[in-house]
Amino acid sequence: MAEVRALLDILFKGCVLLIAFLALVPVLHLTLAAIVNGGPVIASAGLKFFTEVPPPPGNRTYGILTSLIGTIELALLSTLVGVPISFMAAVLVVEFPHSRLGRIVRLLSRTLLELPTILIGMFVFTIIVVPLGSPSILAASIALALVMLPYVTTYIETALSSVPRTYREAGLALGMTKARVAFTIVVPIAVRGVVTGILVGLAKAMGETAPLLFTLGRARTSLNVDPLGPGDAIPLLIYDYAQAPYENLREVAWGATLVLITLFLLVYVLARLTIRGVRV
Amino acid sequence: MVSLRFLLAVPLVFLPLIAIIVYFASTGAEEAEKTVLIGSGSSFIAPQMYAWASQLKSKYPWLAVEYESVGSGAGLANFLDGVRDFAASDPPLPKNLWEKYRGKVIQLPVILGAIAVIYNLPEAGEGLRLTGEVLALIYTGEIKYWDDPRIKELNPGLNLPSKEIIAVHRSDSSGTTEIFTLFLHKSAPSVWPRELVGKAIDWPVDRKGNGVGAKGNEGVTSTVKSTPYSIGYVEWSYALDSGLPMAAIMNPRGEFLLPSIESIQKAVQNVELPESPLGDFSSLPLDVVYADVEGAYPIVSFTFLIFWVEYPQEKVEAVRTFIEYVSTEGQMEGNVVKGYVPVPDNIRRFNLEAVSLVREG
Amino acid sequence: MPPRSVPREDRLFYFSLVPFAYIIIAALLLLALSITWKALPALEAYGIDLFLRNVWAPREDSPGDYGLLAAIYGTLVSAFIAVVLALPLSVSLAIAVEELAPKPLRGAIAFLNDVAAGFPTIAFGLWGVEYLVPFLRDYVMRPLYSSIGFLPTFSCEPLSGASLLAAGTLLAFMVTPFMTALIREAYASVPFHLREAAASVSSAWYQEVLLVLGMIKPAIVAALLLGYGRAAGETVAVSLVVGNSFNVSLCLFAPSYTVSALIANQFGNATYYPLMPEVLFAGGVFLFVIGLVINWMGVRMIERVRWVG
Repeated sequence: MAEVRALLDILFKGCVLLIAFLALVPVLHLTLAAIVNGGPVIASAGLKFFTEVPPPPGNRTYGILTSLIGTIELALLSTLVGVPISFMAAVLVVEFPHSRLGRIVRLLSRTLLELPTILIGMFVFTIIVVPLGSPSILAASIALALVMLPYVTTYIETALSSVPRTYREAGLALGMTKARVAFTIVVPIAVRGVVTGILVGLAKAMGETAPLLFTLGRARTSLNVDPLGPGDAIPLLIYDYAQAPYENLREVAWGATLVLITLFLLVYVLARLTIRGVRV
Repeated sequence: MVSLRFLLAVPLVFLPLIAIIVYFASTGAEEAEKTVLIGSGSSFIAPQMYAWASQLKSKYPWLAVEYESVGSGAGLANFLDGVRDFAASDPPLPKNLWEKYRGKVIQLPVILGAIAVIYNLPEAGEGLRLTGEVLALIYTGEIKYWDDPRIKELNPGLNLPSKEIIAVHRSDSSGTTEIFTLFLHKSAPSVWPRELVGKAIDWPVDRKGNGVGAKGNEGVTSTVKSTPYSIGYVEWSYALDSGLPMAAIMNPRGEFLLPSIESIQKAVQNVELPESPLGDFSSLPLDVVYADVEGAYPIVSFTFLIFWVEYPQEKVEAVRTFIEYVSTEGQMEGNVVKGYVPVPDNIRRFNLEAVSLVREG
Repeated sequence: MPPRSVPREDRLFYFSLVPFAYIIIAALLLLALSITWKALPALEAYGIDLFLRNVWAPREDSPGDYGLLAAIYGTLVSAFIAVVLALPLSVSLAIAVEELAPKPLRGAIAFLNDVAAGFPTIAFGLWGVEYLVPFLRDYVMRPLYSSIGFLPTFSCEPLSGASLLAAGTLLAFMVTPFMTALIREAYASVPFHLREAAASVSSAWYQEVLLVLGMIKPAIVAALLLGYGRAAGETVAVSLVVGNSFNVSLCLFAPSYTVSALIANQFGNATYYPLMPEVLFAGGVFLFVIGLVINWMGVRMIERVRWVG
């Protein structure tokens, strides 16, 4: 009997390991594919990959300048719009957990975490793009900020509520106001989680495509940084070029994917590095 | 102390990013005031539009023309919604819309193209011959296999496999689809009824499980390229670039032809234009498609650029310059992309008239 | 409102935070309302048939004939395939990380998994088009079709490879890290005394693991639900591999459509056709409701994983 069980144990262990490995294969293969396909493209184009606009179809040049700048600008603007709102809302949820508003925001932000982002694209198109008369970087940033809102709110809220009650009570006992306790005690203690939340939201916004389809335009061949004008973004470029029959555009798509993955990982790694020294 | 460091930490993450933006914003500002015209529409004309945009950019550094290849339907929708400056569409505005916007829109036939029927048949190679009727039967799902007697009859010399035909079509609202389905209807009205002519239609072949939709001429070309035993319809330039074989298509005179500069020009030699770019072009495709002319390729189309008559003051000069360029220099050899045919001289002069129609408003 | 006993400064603090909370509520309410509002004319014109018929015949001069069944069917089925495939993957990965990985590696794998959960979806899309679809077509669909093609689900010859199965598989890979994170978290939260109890009644390691999995069943169900919700709403990656064909068929190798892919493809040109935008907004309402219900159930489930004692 014991031998049978030992055998079953090994069998089970083997299966688990094999399937777990299978689960990791796609992401690893995808990253590898981006490096193998995109690496040589970037290497052959050199710095020009980042300083030239995307090429006309069939050409042998590569570049993603406009999309790269667009993605960075979108990330910044959407963070600027989304994070303060999320942060303050999260403080409210944590500091006034029994208020009706706090409960509603908490429930909403959790339930809407996985709201299909294409809906946000349709929504922003209707209420911002049409009235403004043109797709714009601003409209797309607002769309991305809406994507971030529930994420960042939930993350920050989780981080803030993980701070033990005793710290709050100590502060209050010293006669501090709730606001002072929140901003000088609770937030600094939870800073790691807060920053992670912001950066995860940023990474999420950077990689989104669907909210941009109808809101950003595709100002790909000339650089525009005016928020009221149309722009471009790396995910949108990849989406278009993934469907293109031209060899060079496919290559640009892979190069752009490598850049996007790198940027994305960079944000995650930064999240770890910046807060290393700030542990309490 | 901790909170101070926290305050420092966040900008630290963003600092490099902000620096990049500020750098480009400042270099951008040093350039002269730039006017951006943004248009969208036909993927049929997209390679030519990109070429014109980059030619314009080097000639007029102050003018940036941005083009989104999203399909003729989306182009018109965006343009009429007022969220783009111009549209490109293969079919002109239909009569009802033209009447609705009469006197307010300018339509310019700026380039000629042809719809090539591309296919992926590893066994057979080049030389496939098809008629409009057989194509219609394929896209209704009536003809299911490559070795169907009706295809064999046209291609006695080809090695046709007993494989299911995968009919690739557009998934977006497309002028290419409208021209293609107009051809099917005109050449085989009993198989392909009038209701099935349009930019976005309910493909009968989808119901039989043999249809695949792809976005844009781009998507159709790459799907056919990666899918053995498939067939699709795309603008000639995409067919040339893809290296896929094209089928010779029968015209009303019984000739099997491939797209070529001559066979495309033949198709438009007898067309009559309205009196001005403000006029109604809606019946033009009917004359050009399946034209009863010797040596004329049967699936030929103009692509139209569509503008408003009135633009805000800062855009007027840009629109005029753009129209002037595509009516003159843009038609010269070297500026026309392979797979398109410049419009005849009389149409260039006709288009140039539009420069004086554009006004501030 | 904070209780009246709260000091004045604290009430001020509360009210200074209120606008931000309202922005979130207003944005989401406005989103829900505007999508529903925009969808109403389509619901009026076509009634419930809009969701029960498969037809897509746009007309330029008058309202065309629309029925979203193919897209709805494709959405539900592809998301179902996704969670069915992702369940074993994510449970195994969670066990591997929690039970089998060497302690120092655990943090690293967990971090990688979190990274993967937020990976740009478009990267999956490009990878799906270039690698997954041809692979599935040549090494999964063709062999299945020629060997057990008599089963209705495998009964059609694979075309380009873009199909429900391709969409479902790609979605499975995309939601696996996300589901793993949820299951792993629950697994790690099982209190020590319950682990010990499980160990004491088990005579083999695998029995112990199965017992612990039983304890976190609600979390696994939650992961299934939330994974399903995420898969049903995914847009760009799916639109690249689903085949974009209005086709309702039991066969998983046939190209199909999903609601979000339909919106991505058609919304841009919709205003050109009378009532088409409204029809697509109705599709949006469907996505919204599905997402809301499933997420709400999922969140409720997660909250059931509480340890007593």
